[in-house]
Amino acid sequence: MSALLQIENLQVTFNTRHGQVTALDSVSLSVNAGETLGVVGESGCGKSITALSVMGLLPMPPGRIAGGSIRLNGEELVGASDARLRGLRGSEVAMIFQEPMTSLNPVFSIGDQIAEAIMLHQNVSYDQAFKDAVALLDRVGIPSPDRRARDYPHQLSGGMRQRVMIAMAVSCRPKVLIADEPTTALDVTVQAQIFDLLNEIQRDFGAAIVLITHDMGAISEMADRVAVMYAGRVIEEASADQVLDSPQHPYARGLIDCIPALGKQETELREIPGVVPPLHMLGQGCAFKARCAHARPRCGVEKPLLHNHGAHPVACHGAEEGWV
Amino acid sequence: MSVLLDVRDLTVRFGLPKPSMFAPRPYLEAVRQVSFTLHEGRALGIVGESGSGKTTAAMAAIRLVAASSGQVIFQGEDLLTLSEADMRARRRDVQLIFQDPYSSLNPRARVADIVREPMDLMGIGTPEQRQARVEELFKLVGLRPDQLSLFPHQFSGGQRQRISIARALTTNPRLLVCDEPVSALDVAIQAQILNLLAKLKAELGLSYLFISHDLGVVRHVCDDVAVMYLGKIVEVGARSQLFDAPQHPYTQALLSAAPSLARRKSQGYVRPLKISGDPPSPINPPKGCAFAERCPKAQQICRSTQPTLSGAEGHQVACHFPGPATEAGTAQA
Repeated sequence: MSALLQIENLQVTFNTRHGQVTALDSVSLSVNAGETLGVVGESGCGKSITALSVMGLLPMPPGRIAGGSIRLNGEELVGASDARLRGLRGSEVAMIFQEPMTSLNPVFSIGDQIAEAIMLHQNVSYDQAFKDAVALLDRVGIPSPDRRARDYPHQLSGGMRQRVMIAMAVSCRPKVLIADEPTTALDVTVQAQIFDLLNEIQRDFGAAIVLITHDMGAISEMADRVAVMYAGRVIEEASADQVLDSPQHPYARGLIDCIPALGKQETELREIPGVVPPLHMLGQGCAFKARCAHARPRCGVEKPLLHNHGAHPVACHGAEEGWV
Repeated sequence: MSVLLDVRDLTVRFGLPKPSMFAPRPYLEAVRQVSFTLHEGRALGIVGESGSGKTTAAMAAIRLVAASSGQVIFQGEDLLTLSEADMRARRRDVQLIFQDPYSSLNPRARVADIVREPMDLMGIGTPEQRQARVEELFKLVGLRPDQLSLFPHQFSGGQRQRISIARALTTNPRLLVCDEPVSALDVAIQAQILNLLAKLKAELGLSYLFISHDLGVVRHVCDDVAVMYLGKIVEVGARSQLFDAPQHPYTQALLSAAPSLARRKSQGYVRPLKISGDPPSPINPPKGCAFAERCPKAQQICRSTQPTLSGAEGHQVACHFPGPATEAGTAQA
């Protein structure tokens, strides 16, 4: 089965005052229909840049897609015209943003906003689109949707706004749904509701979901496959079970060990020392070397590539040579 | 084990705009008769969702928000009855770490000055002693002495939180109020700060009043935990009891909602206890139990009568039908 969304060797650079930096360095990802791919990493690892590149929403300039390809259903998106991207956005691939507060227009009712998305892509009247919007609001679990459709974003709670975002994102039944930290701003009980809703929607519509998160717990509950990103590169990719049960890269392991999870009780959390290095200061070799407990001289000179050294693909010299 | 902080029936009300010139002013009760006890050398976690009043309760306990009624007994004296001047003197023993390390440090001050400022204000030690203390604290929280003359923007979020912690420790406080100290940080950095807080508690014998919405974090840091919902404590107990045998349906729902590595999509998990909807508005709180509307166990009495916090010392719950999640509770609403 060929992948629904296939990103290959995507290279994205940004012009900054520190010169040109590489925000994404040969990122390859793929998602099949009905599958959830979790993309996990700390802030500044390139997760959102990857999403924006797929959506054709990368700010250009300063950003630039310097190479690689993004294929949606076989169609190349890199270099596609703005008009074509506009046609695809919303209908084929849609995105749920992190901040439901700022991604809705405050001066239009939510029903209008969802209807607008529907009318952009389908040849229907406003009345029909509004009816569809009400049905969608009902589908995402908003109580008394016909009344709520006339509400403005400020009249809704954070969780309801995120439901509206989801309703809008699925309004044209996109094949790929990108959720960029969809629950960061929400309380845990609401987060659980949103996760359950995304899973239901996937079951109903068969959409592929790309879930961007920094929370390994969310990955565990939501993802079929996981790509771990660090400093603009994918450093490990496998099924969720493989990554969670036997992470190969020290960074992936660190991300799992550092969560104060409910199920475990330890006196001290294992921490990953230091921070993600700024992209203009990556230097040679492995980007993780300064924070890695296992780093050896080879890590300082040679950039590890994503290779299958046994269990699953990982970009680590230590995993390759067996000393991690 | 002596009691450091004993909060009794603390209530905080905020006035709302009058609907008309002659109407009585409506009030919002953000914290409703909250009582809790913090023992010396222990950490009490207050968990709850946004709007539950957890921050307001803690702020009222240290008089950064005016309480409407209640008592706050700190080391034997009621903080709420102290004069402004006496309270200022007491602040030496009570310090605070804020959630956002970006807005809680003065961007124009060098970090050494930021950390030293509490000592300047309270007239502690000679200038040389203060400088030595700043350097000592820098080392204690894991920063390098050569970073003393830098500005906050030159630090990462985790390092800034370390600076906030150093500043809070300058006056040798007994009690540290931590208001969501790690929720603005990346997971990998969270672990660094949580380990630091655990180390400081052990080494300095500090007590924490720890506010968080993250149950994993609270479980890691706190000895005792209070769960708040709409301004009231619905369950309070020792960590092990509260996490292993939660009695209140809301606590059970919170635990079931928190993402967990143990629940795998591949194994087709079903969330054991789902609750729908949002908390009710605190402006017109329901007459009965505030959770009744979202509760799978709710009966007639829950909607008419407020449950009171009761149970054995060490694990109390405010629910008409406390107990482990029943079949009715696990049935999906």
